[in-house]
Amino acid sequence: MSEHKQPDLARREFLGRGAVAAAAGMALAPGVMLYGVAHAKPADQPASSKVRWGMLVDTTKCSNGCNACVDACNKEHGLGNEQHSRPEQRTQYIRKVELRHKFTGATHSLPVMCQHCEKPPCVDVCPTGASFKRADGIVLVDRHICIGCRYCMMACPYKARSFVHEALTDQRPHTPRGKGCVESCTMCVHRVDEGREPACVEACAADGSHAIIFGDLNDPNSEIAQRVKTYASSEIRADLGLNTGVRYQGI
Amino acid sequence: MKRLRQLLSMAILALTLSAPAFAGEGGRTFLPSIPAAKGEQCVEDTADMRRNHMKYLQHHRDEAMHQGIRTEKHSLKACLECHAPVEGNMAAGGKEAEGHFCVNCHVYAGVTLDCFECHATKPETTAQFHPLVSPATAALKAADRTDSAELLNRLVGVTENKTGVAHE
Repeated sequence: MSEHKQPDLARREFLGRGAVAAAAGMALAPGVMLYGVAHAKPADQPASSKVRWGMLVDTTKCSNGCNACVDACNKEHGLGNEQHSRPEQRTQYIRKVELRHKFTGATHSLPVMCQHCEKPPCVDVCPTGASFKRADGIVLVDRHICIGCRYCMMACPYKARSFVHEALTDQRPHTPRGKGCVESCTMCVHRVDEGREPACVEACAADGSHAIIFGDLNDPNSEIAQRVKTYASSEIRADLGLNTGVRYQGI
Repeated sequence: MKRLRQLLSMAILALTLSAPAFAGEGGRTFLPSIPAAKGEQCVEDTADMRRNHMKYLQHHRDEAMHQGIRTEKHSLKACLECHAPVEGNMAAGGKEAEGHFCVNCHVYAGVTLDCFECHATKPETTAQFHPLVSPATAALKAADRTDSAELLNRLVGVTENKTGVAHE
């Protein structure tokens, strides 16, 4: 395995330079800006802490009753193949929540998934280190280490995690899932590492809503960073000071 | 003396009759049935893979999981793309799991294999795969995955054997 430790420097340098040139937003003409979209890191390089992946949900564009993101997520990760679990036990990575302001009567519909906190409570409480945050801000469960104690499910203020109660079959190759482990939204890490967007973002755009955008919060040229800078956005339970990677606009 | 000759001839006859039983691929030893892989050459030498595949897999798994280093070499997904269950074998009535490279060898060696309790047992061909990431999947037809329950049962059978609960 020694060749694993010897990076091909020429290749790495080339890819690095290419990525930098591609990631920077380019001004085509005064006032016309080409936003840098999500770019794949080279497959042989680790996730960088210079990146902070995040999502911004515009609740004014998210319509009540639309389930496109949830359906796309279930399809992408092969969820819903439990045979014996009750519906409330079944895994959900993302769910739609309807909000109603008691005084004004204003209603909002919003997708809620793992918020990919900067200081995730689930990581704090995990006794084995299975719950962890990747360098680029994506919070994951390493099922190889998870013992299924479910402390993280208790700790999560967003109810984002699920527990698999039964032996599963027919998993998708990119989302291994099995009995006795806790799981949650992975921000489609397998897609992100290939330079693609999460399935929910893609489905929302395909549906014409464009309510969720995905990108690098740390890259000032990315669309998400520009939007977060320009418009007021908030976190759910901002009082907890978790600095979530998923932000909401219009609530 | 006559009796001795008689005994000898009987022994020779017995040996001759029993010869076909030994004459399989492995001679006197039972060998696992190992389906042929798709590629020309494995990522490491065969001897090295036999001894160290679990180390390579574990090393790769930790890097992929925690750091996002998703190289093809030594990844379980890439293994399965070459060592994919052969369609013909999979379809053989009720013995779907027979054609699985990993399972066959682990059952033979009596080593419990936990990978497939969570991981998919074979590759799938969809648009989900980037063509650069997994060119081999393009060559595979999208097959139904009815075999994975069988496979799981088979693996659980192995586990129980080891703990002496049940025999396959």
